[in-house]
Amino acid sequence: MSDAILLGAVAYDAKVVPIWEGIREHFQSEGVPMDFVLFSNYERQLELLLRGHIDIAWNTPLAHVRCKAATEGQSLSLGMRDSDRDFHAKIIVRKDAGITALAGLAGKRLAVGSRDSTQARILPLHFLREAGIDLRAVALVPFDTDVGKHGDTGTSELHVLDALRSGAVHAGAVGDLIWVLEQAAGRINPSELEVLWTTPGFDHCMFDALPTLAPDKVAAFQRALFAMRWENPTHRRLLELEGLKQWMPPREEGYASLVAALTAPDLL
Amino acid sequence: MTLSAVAVDAGELPLGGGLLTLLRPALLRVAPGGLVAVLSRDRAARDDLQRWCQVEHHGFLGSEVVDDRGTQRHLIERGRLGVPRPEREAGLPLALQEDGHLLAATVLDQAPFPEHADPHTGFAPRGAQVEPGGPPYPVSLLDRAHVAPPDVARLYDQAVAAQWDASRDIAWSRITRLPDALEWSVGQLMTFLAENELSALYVPSKFIPRLHPHFAEVGMFLATQVADEARHIDVFLKRARVAGGSLGVSSVTTSHSLLSLLQIEDFTEAEFMLSVLGEGTFIDLLRFVERHAPDEPTFELVRRARADEARHVHFGLSHVRHALAHDAGLYGRLEQSVRRRAATMSAVGGVPTPIQDALVVLAAGGDAPDRISRGHEAFRELLHEMHDNRMHRLEHAGFSAEQARTLSELHTPNFM
Ligand SMILES: [Fe+2]
Ligand SMILES: [Fe+2]
Repeated sequence: MSDAILLGAVAYDAKVVPIWEGIREHFQSEGVPMDFVLFSNYERQLELLLRGHIDIAWNTPLAHVRCKAATEGQSLSLGMRDSDRDFHAKIIVRKDAGITALAGLAGKRLAVGSRDSTQARILPLHFLREAGIDLRAVALVPFDTDVGKHGDTGTSELHVLDALRSGAVHAGAVGDLIWVLEQAAGRINPSELEVLWTTPGFDHCMFDALPTLAPDKVAAFQRALFAMRWENPTHRRLLELEGLKQWMPPREEGYASLVAALTAPDLL
Repeated sequence: MTLSAVAVDAGELPLGGGLLTLLRPALLRVAPGGLVAVLSRDRAARDDLQRWCQVEHHGFLGSEVVDDRGTQRHLIERGRLGVPRPEREAGLPLALQEDGHLLAATVLDQAPFPEHADPHTGFAPRGAQVEPGGPPYPVSLLDRAHVAPPDVARLYDQAVAAQWDASRDIAWSRITRLPDALEWSVGQLMTFLAENELSALYVPSKFIPRLHPHFAEVGMFLATQVADEARHIDVFLKRARVAGGSLGVSSVTTSHSLLSLLQIEDFTEAEFMLSVLGEGTFIDLLRFVERHAPDEPTFELVRRARADEARHVHFGLSHVRHALAHDAGLYGRLEQSVRRRAATMSAVGGVPTPIQDALVVLAAGGDAPDRISRGHEAFRELLHEMHDNRMHRLEHAGFSAEQARTLSELHTPNFM
């Protein structure tokens, strides 16, 4: 047991159990002993990673950036989903709100997601400020649901869209993934809502490890992870559940905006 | 048909407001790596398409403005990671019958059974473009040779056309109570018939969920058989009680015999035992009851049941003949199975005596001593007739005369 890789993940949904049971089985078949621990929030997971209780944490961008900061940039980034690359946030407006440019948000009600949601709160507000919008002039309507899950559940984004549909707000911030998935499922009325603005891109989740993790464990983890194939029906079920088609190597540049946002003065 | 490039004009439709409705089917028409050009005047389309392509793992190759009205052409490459679906079927119109009817047999001709079926296609109908990667279904009947005789769809068509109604189609009002001995005889025989019909309902039913759905016509035929047996149970029990009669004895011999049918787990073996040997012999029994029926409605309901049974026997014969032609070892397995059943049955005696007595009284037309001996004569003839007909059926199913004799003589004294 002791040489098994111990991985932490946050149980943001019931499907997290079958995902990691399945991935553990795949790792086993690759000759890589691995087990997992589920946390109820990313703060606890990061704390126990930093204390060395787990080897690897499957982290949100917020937890990833905090992990980097806590290790003075020394933590290891091991891999990400293809779908974690080039996220954007969207400012959606009601067509009847008469907002045609970002400046038009002044004096309007803008719905935002949970305070720890990168895509529905932290980065859209950061990018709006960078674009010269004075947020003190905008009436922010926050939906703080599932705090600790860093926006993974998507519920706060769905609340933002509901508030837009009901007319409770004039505008709202959501991630482009939810925006496209809701459209693809036919749940957006295009005569009611439209995109006002798209933020610059940023990256999402990352597998993080301490720099002290043994190099053979790092190599074994990456080998088994990148051996998962969409064409393999067993792998495909897991990849579909986890929302990707291919695991990708890590990259850091996609987190620069989040680092900047977190070092800026308090957003709300 | 798979194309290398397709163009879609989406006008001003936004992604979730119609653009995807045009784009998704277009992507299915090109092979992985093939191109779809989307013309769009929706200004959000570019970003939304780019993100959607990433989620669905298609390639977003770029956009360009193509006119002065702001129309953009977005170029999308169908994802190479997406597993290609099988080709679509050719799509020929189905030939109608002269009377305008459209038969299941015609559909089967155009979309024939596969030789082997793959459990991963699940409930997808034969001919559907099944996306690979689905879970395997718990179906075990996967081989055409052991599952699906070529005339099964024709038998299904006949069965559907021949359905009748056990409450409406029999002149129940014309049945009156018979003299005691005959009334007892009819009640006893109807009890025995219904008991056998119940086994004929249970046995095919359990194989339906084991059939691969690509052999749906077999399941459809068995469903008609199950519906037939339900009607037979219904009609025989009604006949027993309609004029104040009551049910007769259920014997241990019958119970042993029918349990041994129910316990067969091989489809071909079950078809052979139930439909070729059992229902085949049952037809002779029904013909006997029909010949000696005490009244016209009883004659009619037994005649109708026998016509249904003829289809069940026909399917059993087709099934076994088809399987024997493809499986040289099958005869040996079937003979073994018949021997096993005969061995377990040898301890339980001959035709259950209540049935024997009831058949004699029925044929005698009552219990007057001078008639009973004629009834006995008729019963002995019935046993000979059953043996002869079994041999004919077995030869028809593809067995040699020698094999047919062996199997027929081993057959259960319970008839079914
Ligand atoms: Fe029947
Ligand atoms: Fe039958």
